[in-house]
Amino acid sequence: MVKTVKREQLLMELYKSAFPAVAKYVARLGGSLDDAKDVFQDALVIYYEKAVTGNMVATDSKAYLLGIAKHLWFKKFRDNNSTQPLQHDLLNIADEADEHISTNKVMHYLETAGKRCMDLLSAFYYRKLPMKDIAGQFGYAGERSVTVQKYKCLEKVRDTVKQQSLSYADFIE
Amino acid sequence: MRTSLNNLKLVDNHLLGLATPQDNLLLQAKVILDPALTDDIYWHKQTLSLVHQYSRKQLLAEIENVHNQLFTRPEHLSFRQSILRFFKR
Repeated sequence: MVKTVKREQLLMELYKSAFPAVAKYVARLGGSLDDAKDVFQDALVIYYEKAVTGNMVATDSKAYLLGIAKHLWFKKFRDNNSTQPLQHDLLNIADEADEHISTNKVMHYLETAGKRCMDLLSAFYYRKLPMKDIAGQFGYAGERSVTVQKYKCLEKVRDTVKQQSLSYADFIE
Repeated sequence: MRTSLNNLKLVDNHLLGLATPQDNLLLQAKVILDPALTDDIYWHKQTLSLVHQYSRKQLLAEIENVHNQLFTRPEHLSFRQSILRFFKR
């Protein structure tokens, strides 16, 4: 199991420092606690993804999170002022591949049968951890062996995705 | 690394924008010689997209876990109360 303690600590610190301001803002504009939670959690994802890719300009994380949350709240209010989940339309991750891929059955398969490989690929592609750290966390001797393992995992997952996708009639949408 | 893994590395670097111009040329040549590689590139892209979705799902689960801790554990009572105060009508 990959250690996620450091990330959890970071999330806890960000939650404690920045959520009160977001909650106060959303409450003042008539939103509920769930609304505040939704926009804040989406803001945290955006913050995290920008931070790991090195696209973070702001140094004041609290102000940055409040800024994103205000933007998300405004967008939610403008678009639907209802309970539609934000992830689908506000977290801008969609690319060409997403348009064709359904996460349900294939994702479930990967979460169970291919979890270790998915965690390793996630550590590399999403969390962008250094190879040395990934080797340590996954118990590999060194960077060389974890690099080879990464490509083996990529090949295995790619072939699984292909195979499973072609098996499920409802996969290609 | 065996050939299939070397090809995988070539495609990966290409999709991540890390390939050198020479490597991109090499990939183009390989695609011409082996059309099946086009198929591999397509599924490689799908895989990277799924890894992203998987990772984001994990992150959201961790965030939810932090939220639950803050709103249930006794040591965070004052934090919880300060938040709930904003929503009292």
